Amino acid sequence: MDFELTEEQKDIQRAATQFAKGEFDPDLALELDRNGQFPELIWKKACKLGFIGLHYPEEFGGQGLGLFENLLVIEAFCRVDSGIGSALSTVDLGSEVILKFGSHEQKKDFLFPLAKGEKRLSVAFAESEDGKDLSSVSTVAERRGEGYLIHGRKRFVLNVSLSDAFIILCKEPEEGLTTLIVRRENGGMEVHPIEKMGLRMIPFGDLHFKEVRVPLESRVGGEDEGMVHVHHCHQAMELRGVAQALGTAQGAFDRAMQYAKQREQFGRKLSQFQVIRHKLADMAVSIEVARWLTYKAATEYDHEKIDPGFLFITQLEAGRRLVTVVDEAVQIFGGYGYIAETAIEHYFRDAWAIEVQLGTEEELKDMISGRILSSPRENPTEDMK
Amino acid sequence: MLFELNEEQKTFQRKVREIYEREVSPLVEEYERKEAFPVHLFKRLGEEHLLCLRCPEKYGGAGLEKISECISMEELNRICAGIGAGIMVHGGLATDPILRFGSENLKQKYLTPAVQGEKIGAFALTEPDAGSDASGIRTTALKHGEGYRINGSKTFITNGTICDFVTVAAYTDPAKRGTGINLFVVNREDPGFSVVKKLEKSGNHSSDTAELAFDDCFVPKERMLGEQEGGGLEQLEETLKSGRITYGARSTGVGQATFDAILPYIQKTQRQGEPLRRSQAIRFILAEMAMSIEVMRYVTYRGAWLFDRGIASMKDAAIVKLFCTESLQRIVQKAMAIQKNIGLMVENPVQRFLRDARLFKIPEGTSEIQHLVISRELGL
Repeated sequence: MDFELTEEQKDIQRAATQFAKGEFDPDLALELDRNGQFPELIWKKACKLGFIGLHYPEEFGGQGLGLFENLLVIEAFCRVDSGIGSALSTVDLGSEVILKFGSHEQKKDFLFPLAKGEKRLSVAFAESEDGKDLSSVSTVAERRGEGYLIHGRKRFVLNVSLSDAFIILCKEPEEGLTTLIVRRENGGMEVHPIEKMGLRMIPFGDLHFKEVRVPLESRVGGEDEGMVHVHHCHQAMELRGVAQALGTAQGAFDRAMQYAKQREQFGRKLSQFQVIRHKLADMAVSIEVARWLTYKAATEYDHEKIDPGFLFITQLEAGRRLVTVVDEAVQIFGGYGYIAETAIEHYFRDAWAIEVQLGTEEELKDMISGRILSSPRENPTEDMK
Repeated sequence: MLFELNEEQKTFQRKVREIYEREVSPLVEEYERKEAFPVHLFKRLGEEHLLCLRCPEKYGGAGLEKISECISMEELNRICAGIGAGIMVHGGLATDPILRFGSENLKQKYLTPAVQGEKIGAFALTEPDAGSDASGIRTTALKHGEGYRINGSKTFITNGTICDFVTVAAYTDPAKRGTGINLFVVNREDPGFSVVKKLEKSGNHSSDTAELAFDDCFVPKERMLGEQEGGGLEQLEETLKSGRITYGARSTGVGQATFDAILPYIQKTQRQGEPLRRSQAIRFILAEMAMSIEVMRYVTYRGAWLFDRGIASMKDAAIVKLFCTESLQRIVQKAMAIQKNIGLMVENPVQRFLRDARLFKIPEGTSEIQHLVISRELGL
């Protein structure tokens, strides 16, 4: 067991931090957040420097690294700014599906431009209020000659107005659930934007498909493989989510630490009050826990041996730790924590947007307990190692 | 011991609920989005006799007790915390010290128009470098001719850009830390008073919040509250107690609004093909929310009851604020988490409740300050 990053990983972390500190201007971040604008220029620059898709093979514009390295970048980015960092972590959602199940053509068509910053990809799976409930998919893809005709509605799609293509889950009347790549230029798509409280730089909304025609080559893998793709994709998305949670918690902690060391009340620095010190200690504990869970889960994912139960544990812990860390950071800032200009305020709203994506405490506990209770082992947590 | 509102209070509760639903509900969306206070509401509520509720009839007020004020504040905050903030400060921190320590002339001049909503009040104690530590303020009011010249800056001032007058705390004797402070009433048009900027906040968007500056702002002696120099912070004691109890009512209102929004959601939502209301965990959460709201409401009423009898201590008021504002956090957080993506949508009030409620742990004494206040009275 080795709990240290490799030299290469440390270099990536340093480079990402340096890039973020240089490019994520706090005033710009405030403005983008306020106006709900995507950080276009920063995204292009990040691609130029190779920060997007570093887990793609080199022949498709990547660096042949793991998702782990990708998560280190997301963590470093969110630490410097939760809004910009999260936006950059969602430009190639679903790329893992193409990476693992896509044809050579699809990889060439998408991975390369995604890494280069010429395209954005997103996913559209869910149709109900609950973004992850796939129990009733009613978007239909009918075979018509050499292609498919798609009808239906998808909910809560990230980068809904910006992505050049979406991986969608459809029902084929006979064959079952299939994933298709729908490009914006296929036409027939209608965007219904939803304004949200946090992560406002990521355009969000529903996507309606009205007689969208796509060629047969748009199908990923075979028919009725949709659920396998979605499951694989969700794992990668959850991991990106926990990395966002970790970076955002760390960023809030950094700001609170700095503030506590400089702000004086009653003739003393805040950092000299026991209650504040203990808050900082609790926050540090939370971040440590979230970090090692995240790193372990990411390593297992890259080794293709991730236990879903362990991933649920990671989501649960990273999410609730995030909320408490950010809440305490705001509290340490006092009134300043509540106003926009201090660059901690949007961490509060962004934290909730991240937490909500990770799933509710109750449903995660349902899944964790389900796995523990169905385990034949004497010590069920063994399963998760 | 009677655990029931009396008939008069119940009638009052029905009346204010009806008025706020009619007059305030239609404004919420627009003014939350504009991040502005609906200024015309002051006159409207003045006509309904719902401003400065505890102000005596002599000045046009309703002369009600604290419990009624809490009933009113719960109902108003149930509809909108941001608007509730402006109305609360106007009828509390801004005017309460004038009522307690102002001359007869000042009371006539400020309270009567305040009650009618003709003049809007603000209160300025907090400064960029002095929040929890009120004696750390640096604003001075030094003797000058027949009055005082105020210099300094104030921040997080509710009603800051829309006020007609502001009750300001400043040192008349900076050498006497904590004790050399006085309260003054400054008019908006007084030379030297200015609004530096309006502040953008996480929540309470329809509440107006600003940073103010006083630059050689002259106020005649008669606008100092009280006859003697010094003792301003002590003068604030009863006002602060009252304000902290009001936070109990605000929290109860936002908690109730959250509950009212989440209950139908849970009743109608299916997840993974199962009705959400069948989830034992969800049922427990809802039970806990209902329990918290009930306790919050009664803790608030108890604080108000003690206050009305003149026997509420600083500890009693701190308990109300700390318990209610902290309990509220769990309610709004859980409601947000349960609704997932739906919760995040700006068109859904739950995200507003979460943002609005987050503030309550900070002003008029942070949660940490309330702990200190309580511990101080425990004889440690």
